[in-house]
Amino acid sequence: MKGMTRRALIAAAAGALLATTACNVDSGATTASSPAAGGTASAAPKALKVGWSTIYLAPSWMQQTLKMLEDDVARLKGEGKVASYETFNANGDTSQQIAQIQAMITQKYDVILVDAGSSTALNPVMEQAVAAGIVVANFDSLVTSDKVIRVGTDQVEWGRMTAQWLADKLGGKGEIIAMNGPAGVSVSEERWKGAEEVFKKYPDIKIAANVHSEYNLAPAAQAFASAYSANPDITGVFSQGGALSAAALQTLVKQDRKLVPITGENYNGFLKMWAEKRREGFSSIATAQPNYLSVIALQAAVAKAGGANVPMNITVPLPEITDENLDQFVKPDQPDDSYPIQPLPQGEIDKLIAGK
Amino acid sequence: MRGDLDLVWLGALLLVALAVYWRLDPTLPRPATITILSAQFLPLILAAAGQTVVMLTGGIDLSLGAVLSLGMAVFVTNPAGNVVASMALALAVTVLAGAANGALVAYAGLPPIIVTLAASFLWAGVTLIVLPQPGGQVPAELVRAYNMGWYGLALPAIAIGLALAVWKLVKTTRFGLALYAVGGNEHGAFANGIDTRRVKIAAYGFAGLFTGLAGIGLAIQTGSGDPTIGTPYTLNSIAVAVLGGISFFGGVGRMRGTLLGALLFGLLSNLLLFTGISTFYQLILQGVVLVVAVAVKTLAARERVA
Repeated sequence: MKGMTRRALIAAAAGALLATTACNVDSGATTASSPAAGGTASAAPKALKVGWSTIYLAPSWMQQTLKMLEDDVARLKGEGKVASYETFNANGDTSQQIAQIQAMITQKYDVILVDAGSSTALNPVMEQAVAAGIVVANFDSLVTSDKVIRVGTDQVEWGRMTAQWLADKLGGKGEIIAMNGPAGVSVSEERWKGAEEVFKKYPDIKIAANVHSEYNLAPAAQAFASAYSANPDITGVFSQGGALSAAALQTLVKQDRKLVPITGENYNGFLKMWAEKRREGFSSIATAQPNYLSVIALQAAVAKAGGANVPMNITVPLPEITDENLDQFVKPDQPDDSYPIQPLPQGEIDKLIAGK
Repeated sequence: MRGDLDLVWLGALLLVALAVYWRLDPTLPRPATITILSAQFLPLILAAAGQTVVMLTGGIDLSLGAVLSLGMAVFVTNPAGNVVASMALALAVTVLAGAANGALVAYAGLPPIIVTLAASFLWAGVTLIVLPQPGGQVPAELVRAYNMGWYGLALPAIAIGLALAVWKLVKTTRFGLALYAVGGNEHGAFANGIDTRRVKIAAYGFAGLFTGLAGIGLAIQTGSGDPTIGTPYTLNSIAVAVLGGISFFGGVGRMRGTLLGALLFGLLSNLLLFTGISTFYQLILQGVVLVVAVAVKTLAARERVA
């Protein structure tokens, strides 16, 4: 009797596992049975098997990126350039991301896109993929390997561009609070490096406080409030992230103070507040980590797999959101936690991929 | 006897998982694939082995992921100028970090869950001082030999074998017996003349050794160090140990159960990568498989007792 129970349990478990495999057989069949819908595209001789491994998928920025990527995949499928597409979410676990890329190598993917959880830890497995003849394109959070296509923005320029606007706005003198991301995070360090370069040129701009905070509204609001109560006479705020900017502006509005210029990002919560307070003389500049980095990476990889010459480093220009063009970006009907962006014209993408 | 039956159940599940995996990836039995998979599973197996030692004392280690990153960080900054000495130094650091956790548990009489939670912040901070951002160096030849095979040998698999052999030896010593005694009945062990505090400190230190080895393995696999990469290993190691039949209350469970549990956990999450089901369902399925595996095992055990 005992033995039987045990055997029954084992059988049940085996069944459960096999059920999992059954799913695979289905999806395997669909991918295998869609050969290149030959014709229109002369560059791509066969339709490609494409996968994206991302360190996170849940944040709204990632969700928007996924949507944009899937739309472009659908278009490329229509052109017969892409046969199948798969997303792999590592959920913050870099080791899992290594396993995902390994699994894609085993399953003979043609193109692997990567939004990296570590700037170094994925290098060996990505280089292994390249050695196996797979085109690997990395975007957004970049790795240090020079064997893969890297599509990103210049974070130092981000800091430089927004800081320069602030310096000009202040006429080269004043007192500011700097709102930076967490210490030790490379994005934060790079943006501040660019900003610092600019502020060094203006000895009359005094940095009253340099605040580090998570890129989240609540902790940023706290951090800003205490820095502001110690320095209520500031004439501007350098902020390197949208939630940080929203926190600063929110604090000024709540305390009914003068709305000094604050630099920003395309975080919709900030854009909405900016649009509302623009009437009262609030002024800002914002830039963005554009979601279309994913689309550029996909198109570059597909072009390279089709034999085209593609630059290994593609630096995508940072968008500029100003008092004048703000209305094209802000989305009053959408939640605060979204990142509105204007799509990049296909002509611009083609230029970037061609290395012009 | 009961432990053996548990392991039979786990082993059977593992065989099924292996068979399915073999169907999806026909290269499974080849040395190259074994090398890659063992490199991939080594950090989890050794981290879970460390967690097992702590759990056998009736404790839990929430700082394991941070200590793993710390060992990795010390190793890749190459403080001693050569690989072997840096490895030894990294292990010394993780053993000391573990022993420090153990000393707080043993002498301050604080619950392990609180001590190690606090320690996780402490060690994460120390790691950031050692290695503020991803980087560091691991010799390229070592990375290649470890990940691609060395004269056809799967080095990570050998390393796992050696580490577990050490455990087998240690288990038969007085310390090994005392470990189970302290975990099973601390007062009884104390009454029988066992220095329970020393046993605990040694156990946490020993866990630090396994955790440090996991960190070094991860560094060689990835060819670099990353100060935050260890975090997921804390919960994964606990999940694996529980799956392997290690009791939360101490004194019950065997290392081979943890090994089977880690292999099953690793293979299952890899299998899901082959299934092509949507990524959020993969997480759900992974959780469900874990719960079902543990629940069925527990129910089976209860039925036998009844």
